[in-house]
Amino acid sequence: MKGTQLGEFEEIVLLTIALLYDDAYSVAVVEKLSQRLERPISLGAVHRTMQRLEEKGLVISRFGEATPERGGRRKRLFTITIAGEQSLREARHIRNELWEGIPKNAFDHLT
Amino acid sequence: MNRKNKTHQDPPGWAERLLARITAPHIREEVLGDLYELFQKRGQRYGYTKARLLYVLEMLLLLHPRLWRKQAQPAYLYTKPTDYSPPNPLVMLSNYVKIASRKLNRHKSYTLINVVSLSLGIACTILIFTLVKYHLSFDTFHANQDRIYRIYTELHTEKVIYSTGVPNPMGEAFQSGYSVAEEVGRIAFFKKRVISISPEKKFEEDIAFADPDFLSIFNFPLIQGNPQTALQERNTALITDRIAKKYFGTQDPIGKLIRVDSSLSVRITGILQNLPPTTDFHTEIYIPFSNLQEHSPWMVEKDWWLGFNKEMQCFIRLKPGVSAATVDSRILTAISNKYYDKETAKQFRFKLQPLSDVHFNPKLRGYTEKKNLWTFALIGFFLVVTACVNFINLATAQALGRSREIGVRKALGSQRGAIFWQFITETGLIAGSALIIAFGLAYVALPFVNQWFAIELALNPLTDTYLLVFLVLLLLVVIFCSGAYPGLILARFQPVLALKGKLSQQSMGGFSLRKGLVVTQFAISQLLIIGTLIITNQLRYSQQADMGFRKDAIVILPVPDSKKSKINTFGAQLSEMSGVENVTFFDTPPATEFLASTSFRFDSRPKAEAFNISIKSADHQYIPTFKIPILAGRNLNPSDTIREYLLNETAVKSLGLASLQDVIGKTATINGRSGTIVGVIKDFHFKSFRVAIEPLCLTTWSEIYNSCGVKVNPANLEPTLSGFEKTWKALYPSSIFTYRFLDEDIERFYKLDNMLLRLIQAFAAIAIFVGCLGLYGLVSFMAAQKTKEIGVRKVLGASAASILWLFGKEFFRLLLVAFMLAAPLAWWIMDRWLNNFVYRVELGAGIFILSILITFIVALLTVGFRSVKAALMNPIKTLRTE
Repeated sequence: MKGTQLGEFEEIVLLTIALLYDDAYSVAVVEKLSQRLERPISLGAVHRTMQRLEEKGLVISRFGEATPERGGRRKRLFTITIAGEQSLREARHIRNELWEGIPKNAFDHLT
Repeated sequence: MNRKNKTHQDPPGWAERLLARITAPHIREEVLGDLYELFQKRGQRYGYTKARLLYVLEMLLLLHPRLWRKQAQPAYLYTKPTDYSPPNPLVMLSNYVKIASRKLNRHKSYTLINVVSLSLGIACTILIFTLVKYHLSFDTFHANQDRIYRIYTELHTEKVIYSTGVPNPMGEAFQSGYSVAEEVGRIAFFKKRVISISPEKKFEEDIAFADPDFLSIFNFPLIQGNPQTALQERNTALITDRIAKKYFGTQDPIGKLIRVDSSLSVRITGILQNLPPTTDFHTEIYIPFSNLQEHSPWMVEKDWWLGFNKEMQCFIRLKPGVSAATVDSRILTAISNKYYDKETAKQFRFKLQPLSDVHFNPKLRGYTEKKNLWTFALIGFFLVVTACVNFINLATAQALGRSREIGVRKALGSQRGAIFWQFITETGLIAGSALIIAFGLAYVALPFVNQWFAIELALNPLTDTYLLVFLVLLLLVVIFCSGAYPGLILARFQPVLALKGKLSQQSMGGFSLRKGLVVTQFAISQLLIIGTLIITNQLRYSQQADMGFRKDAIVILPVPDSKKSKINTFGAQLSEMSGVENVTFFDTPPATEFLASTSFRFDSRPKAEAFNISIKSADHQYIPTFKIPILAGRNLNPSDTIREYLLNETAVKSLGLASLQDVIGKTATINGRSGTIVGVIKDFHFKSFRVAIEPLCLTTWSEIYNSCGVKVNPANLEPTLSGFEKTWKALYPSSIFTYRFLDEDIERFYKLDNMLLRLIQAFAAIAIFVGCLGLYGLVSFMAAQKTKEIGVRKVLGASAASILWLFGKEFFRLLLVAFMLAAPLAWWIMDRWLNNFVYRVELGAGIFILSILITFIVALLTVGFRSVKAALMNPIKTLRTE
């Protein structure tokens, strides 16, 4: 199914949204990701990915409160949907299967 | 975060505003908020300067269609419903282009007519623009060219004679006596001298003797050699790169010796960069002025103020702030007063001519008048107008066919502006493709134009910014001129009426305008036709009219050495050859463009006459060779010095004598040399038809003969000419053999006119063709509109002829109106042009009748072709279609 195909960056962002649970909005995702990936992530990239995820129906969004540190502007908070959860699980499942399929001595020659 | 320092730590305002502008409304708030939050956090972490930089960086990284794309579907339940975006014509562009290409594809003939006529019009305009720009750019590349002047001479006698030359001491007098000029450069030009590198290798080349200052006044850079010493040392020469390659190929030309004629041997010390095509200095070999003494001593006779030669010129660059008018009124007048006695000072006046005038002043041997350039520009404008008129006519005529489309568009919410822009897009497509085709056409035609005009035009919009700007402007003007009116008409449709199909041709309000436009087109075509006819007539008259002497089958050979013995040998050898009827030696052929004139004292009258007389020196064979009739007295007797004079009728009349016999036997002192008047010859045109016949005298003076005229038998020309060459080369081994025919020589007087004629002919043809295309389109459209009307008329018994008249009468009325406009205008313009000629054709009614006939026939063919088809259609078929 086309809608559930996840790109790598999409998958990571989606995971982060799940991780942040109640406070998942773009700046938080950017910070979390920059921390984890140890490289700078642009707001633009995250923003576009989140828009795409929403178009695919993997997340839904709502406006949060207006706060002074945002100059009185509201933030858009994202929540993962059932479809989102399913696609994450599917991605994980595929990876796990692949991992299990790797022969025990596949990496031996590297050591 | 407290409020107080927040004001100092805002992200860059411009970036915020810019972002707010481009971001789609539904995500504007969150994006700005996100960036703001990031900015504050980073500001605290890394400092606000860095945060500002990062803000801009983030903003750049945000740029993506998603940022300004509108919300796909109203899925966001939480967004505020108040976000409103104004209508954006750019978004509709792809739709406009699609509709336009479909429509153009459907109406192929309409598209074809428009593209062809626009591209012809534009192609001509591009060529004309290039031509005009080329001439305007003459000698504009010299540093401080607004301060460069040429001193010229005005000789005030009975009338004013202008000369580009000055007496030879002028340069020195000007430089040593007055300090208004930064540089003063004398230069003497010589045409077609023989340059020899070795006895076998000879070339004919123009040369010039110039002061060193000449190179600092004009921007002709040296690519080899020292500019400081150039033209200083005697017996040196500068040549252009082109000449160097021609003479020496790949060898190093510096230090090589070349011989100039037989008098001078010079060493090459410098190479000039090739001359640009846009300069009036065509000489490619420069020799120091001091060498002129050896080459032509007569030109630099010391303190000889009474004569001037048009090739002996003097250029100056004034100091900044010195005005030419002051120099004219103070210094040059002072020079006249100082070096001439009181009487002659009144006659000899000197003035400054700005460099920018040199190319455009025919009085002072300039190439052409600026007036001619503007005429061309006007013709180019006319051609574009004709093409635009076609477009407007066809588009408004077709507007009715689009009423449904416009109605639907309007019903769906299109505004006037949107419909207008849609039509402009369509026009832009047509005009854009026409421009591309036109450029191709112009590119193909360019070599021919260059050949006609003997010029070097180039068309390259990539290097030529003026051309590029012109093309873009032209495109915009064409699009708006031709698209705006039909666009407005379409946009004005009432949607209800349009959808009901109740719009009629009348409600378009365009027919009177269309009539006006058709009249304009016809008028332009007729103007050009009349112009073409008159110029053709005048030139034919000038070239074929009897000039008063025989000019066919006469070969003119140069005589490089006028020593008596050589001339006699040469003459004798020529006369012996078969095919030769007469041989004569002279300084100028019967007709030349320029002829010097001088003072004349008759008989024992105490003072010189008020008029000047022109002199031709020739031997006794001149009169029989050119068949010039003698009205009184006899021909000159053979002689080598001035003994006898022949006068023409005008000279006798100017003397105020009643009978031709009165002058016979009297003494004449011409240019200080006396002789007896032995005869009177019939007036002949010794200059072009532009000028009246002036007083002329003929005398023998073998010293200055430089040409030889041979009347040959035209039946067997080839061997005769090769015989000439053999004899000539044996006698003058150090010179180059050339020959020309007298009648071709005379044709050359009218070279510019002939070029003008050909160009106007071409333009007239194009204007007529374009006009016809438009007419054809209009008639086809009318025929389609009136299909049913014709059917009904035919059923009710109308004949084919009466149906033809239905189409024809309107156009012929318009044609007559156009003629009423064009004829007086053409008469006025052409009368002024003909005033350039003293001997001219008269503007008869015939030409005007002919021109209206031509237009009439062309229009008849165009209209007739289409309307006959309409008239002959079977009414059953036309009436059945519903």
